[in-house]
Amino acid sequence: MSTELGRRAPRLALKDVVLMVTLGVVFGFLYWVFVQAWNGLAVLMGPAGDLAQHVLLGAWLLAAPVAVAVIRRPLVGVIAEVIAAVVEVFFLGSPVGPLLLVAAALQGIGSELPFALGRYRHFGWARYAASGAAGAALVFVFTAFRDAWWGTDLLTVRLLVQVASGVVLGGLLAKVLVDALARTGAVDGFAIGRAQGVIPGRYERRVR
Amino acid sequence: MTDTQPTGTQPTGTLLERRNPTVKVALLCAVSLTTLFLFDLSVLAWLWGLGVVGALATTRLGARRLVLAHAPFVAFGVGLVAVNAVTRPGPALVTVLGMDVTRAGLAVGAALALRALLIGVVTVAFLASTPPRELMVSLTRHARLSPRYAYALLAAHRMLTAMPRRWATIRAAQAVRGSGPALPEAGRAVVTLLVGAIRGAERTALALESRGLGSGPRSVWHVVPLTWADGVFAVVVTGVAGAVLAFA
Repeated sequence: MSTELGRRAPRLALKDVVLMVTLGVVFGFLYWVFVQAWNGLAVLMGPAGDLAQHVLLGAWLLAAPVAVAVIRRPLVGVIAEVIAAVVEVFFLGSPVGPLLLVAAALQGIGSELPFALGRYRHFGWARYAASGAAGAALVFVFTAFRDAWWGTDLLTVRLLVQVASGVVLGGLLAKVLVDALARTGAVDGFAIGRAQGVIPGRYERRVR
Repeated sequence: MTDTQPTGTQPTGTLLERRNPTVKVALLCAVSLTTLFLFDLSVLAWLWGLGVVGALATTRLGARRLVLAHAPFVAFGVGLVAVNAVTRPGPALVTVLGMDVTRAGLAVGAALALRALLIGVVTVAFLASTPPRELMVSLTRHARLSPRYAYALLAAHRMLTAMPRRWATIRAAQAVRGSGPALPEAGRAVVTLLVGAIRGAERTALALESRGLGSGPRSVWHVVPLTWADGVFAVVVTGVAGAVLAFA
């Protein structure tokens, strides 16, 4: 019994849990704002609006890579994405409903996978790009089933546009965002700060 | 943000306000899951109609607020109809701007739009009758959600309610300084919003830890009950939905 307990990975510190939940909530809010813009775009552009919306899809993948990069622990990205979906569905209201939680879990799994393969130690541009691509590709399969896209004319185009959006908005933009957060010093007290050798609380003049 | 948050609960509230939040979450999930396999327009229309009647009868939402709350779901539905009408194979009903509108496309688009409306009306009724605090207390007691996550989510929810105001303040500050191109400025505003939230999260974690969260079993002051009436409610809702699926 004691050996089993000893082998179990230590649970997340409360500080990490609260940060993960907070990132989920902030991104849930930003996703919800995006959905309103997304709906407006669909109405304004008519049939072309749907493809235009796919261009923005990658923005829905941001929570996972940001949470993983800052906290650097397994499943943090998946949980952050699911919490963002919980906020959208149960606090703000989403037309997709609770099935959004399934989509969010798939997004999180896809986005976290490349970082997990690197044992949460490698955070280069290529890793972020792979994260965005995997997140977009995995959720595409689910959305194609939910919205009955199989057999339609635009299936391949939708896949390519969504993966490209995932790479740019859900991957590379996440790297830009994480670097920007690191420069502010706000995340020095978390794993990302420790990995960079920052001593939390110590004043350092930051040169832009 | 949909203005449907209830002002309080709850033993004396409306029928839906008195129901257990975990039961309501389960029913919301069941409705959402069932619609995944529904493309019959009459069934979806019946379910949506019943949802509207149910929302009006069991919450404090008036007709006006319910119509307004439908706006984002209607916009979502219009987009679905527009794209599906011209991207589904089949004989053309009419050609618009060089694109063939097919009967199958219109039917699938309308079904997906009705599905969004149905989920929308159920979600709006849920939001209008379920305060976040009751939801979290109920989920910890009746769905075994970890209090560490539940209380963190509640604290973050407080941040959420202040977020539109924070966003407006940041954008106003940018405007005062003389804003540059819209997109980079919005990006900077997102970083500012995130930095504020992360610093707030550190303070929240300290406050929760100092109150002993996660140190052992917890008790709650206002218990959210789970009663036989919740069971009857669940049976009635699933029964009515089942009857529509069987006979409509």
